[in-house]
Amino acid sequence: MPRELEVVSPHAGLARGAFTTWAGLVYLFLFAPIVLLIAFSFNANKYGTFPFTGWTGKWYSQVFHDYQIKDALTTTLRVALFVTLISTIVGTAAAFPLVRSRLPFRNAVRVGMTLPIMIPGLLIGVSLLVFLTNVFHVQLSVWTAIVGQCVYTTPFVLLIVAARLQGFDAALERAASDLGANTFNRLRYVVLPLIAPAVFAGALFAFTLSLDEFIITLFLIGGSNTLPLYIYTQVKFGITPEVNALATLLLAASLILIMIAFVLPAVIRWARQAVRVRATR
Amino acid sequence: MDSGVPAPPRTGRSRFAAFGQYGGFLPAIVVFGVFFAAPLALIVAYSFWKVVDYNVVHDWTLDNYRYFFSVGTYARTFWATIWVTFSATALTIVIAFPFAYWLVRYVSKRLQALLLVLVILPFWTSYLLRVYAWLNILGPEGAINRFLHWIGLTSQPVSFFLYDRPAVILVLAYLYFPFAALTLYASLQRFDWNQFKAAMDLGATPATAMRKILLPQIKPGITTAVIFVFIPILGEYLTPQLVGGARGVMIGNLIANFFGVGQYTRGAAAALLIAALIVALLVVFRRSLEVRDAYAP
Repeated sequence: MPRELEVVSPHAGLARGAFTTWAGLVYLFLFAPIVLLIAFSFNANKYGTFPFTGWTGKWYSQVFHDYQIKDALTTTLRVALFVTLISTIVGTAAAFPLVRSRLPFRNAVRVGMTLPIMIPGLLIGVSLLVFLTNVFHVQLSVWTAIVGQCVYTTPFVLLIVAARLQGFDAALERAASDLGANTFNRLRYVVLPLIAPAVFAGALFAFTLSLDEFIITLFLIGGSNTLPLYIYTQVKFGITPEVNALATLLLAASLILIMIAFVLPAVIRWARQAVRVRATR
Repeated sequence: MDSGVPAPPRTGRSRFAAFGQYGGFLPAIVVFGVFFAAPLALIVAYSFWKVVDYNVVHDWTLDNYRYFFSVGTYARTFWATIWVTFSATALTIVIAFPFAYWLVRYVSKRLQALLLVLVILPFWTSYLLRVYAWLNILGPEGAINRFLHWIGLTSQPVSFFLYDRPAVILVLAYLYFPFAALTLYASLQRFDWNQFKAAMDLGATPATAMRKILLPQIKPGITTAVIFVFIPILGEYLTPQLVGGARGVMIGNLIANFFGVGQYTRGAAAALLIAALIVALLVVFRRSLEVRDAYAP
């Protein structure tokens, strides 16, 4: 439809060219920093910046042999695992009443539960810090960081699962109920299989967000280091090619996870279909 | 909802039914109530409490706020934060609007989805790393200044690309561009382009049609984009810390410092200043925000 507008304006070609150039520059702006980061990670220059003095994989092998990085990776994965588990359960459970109940002020509840995404993470971090240390006198540890990250990741799971529940035909459940299924069986055989792709996707998003989370973790983790915190402490002493390599690896990891999260629901649907086709043969 | 299949008969166990209906909220109430709302409420209280001999006393006072504005550096940082936030938000929208317009108007539907994913993808990668990537580019030894020097355009490093306030604004626009682009795209996509065409058929120039037909209709979308960008920037800590240098400090850094040295009540007051600005913004724009009941039957 917008294309028909072209005929009307005499300068249409000019405007089109200008906008297209702008868009090209925007993509350059978005990706140049990331591409340069990746390029520098293979640069033999030991200051981790221009000029290029040759290609090397040296920095990557240093990353793999650095025990501090290994420690940080272990902590990061441990935190991410628990954050994923907790926020997936909490977010999925809350999605049901949010979509289905006749809740007064449902919209207000929805906005309230997505508030942790909206407000600066700094506020979540410092307020939890005061709350946990001054009211409950808890020692800061990996666990306090897990709690803090869950506040931030749960809304994402909630939104993803709620969107799926919203698009799901309630008649299916009623039909199951008519056929004698009790609550547990309805959940087990009808509801869960239908929302499973969204739950998996939500879990992957939570995992990725946890891997990358910085500011809440900074205030709550105490003495331990996650990978983002490790990078942050290194950066204070300037850019090193090793950090460039580590950063590239982390970037690749989150990109792969996110692509899986985007593609996964489609793959599950396709796999189910394939199984069904074989079953009917 | 209206599927024609009758709802399962209600048994007498209405309390059980109520639990079935709302029970799913229980864990969420713990997460959001205990670990999100309660701490924020506590911060509000802290900002009005006193510290006597290193202990927080529950005496209500405005001292923390007075202290904040009585120290010149803090007050200046507060105004600088507002200025940086406004500039960065404006820059983000100025970059994102022509982009979203291009995407809706000049790109085919199938390609739109792909190009949009490309824009959102960086959002899902590490926020720290996206700031870190700019450390390679900015600064006296950064890629831009070295490149300009190399092609002979400049002999001294260009100050705009040093670690300073302009660098902070640039990186913030980079970080929050996906928010703005996505919101503006959604808004432009719902626009009925026939109206634009009709305006031009009636003799309006494209600029007039844009100003009088398009802009008034997508105003809610622009407002939403502004809010989505403005709010997180107000609480920025990392970007000014890494690329801000000495003059790029924002209120987020002050808050972190207060809490880092255990001055909780003063930190709380500074944090509440941010929260107050956010609330003020939401109240001013509440009518034009695009918030609907997403799960309405």
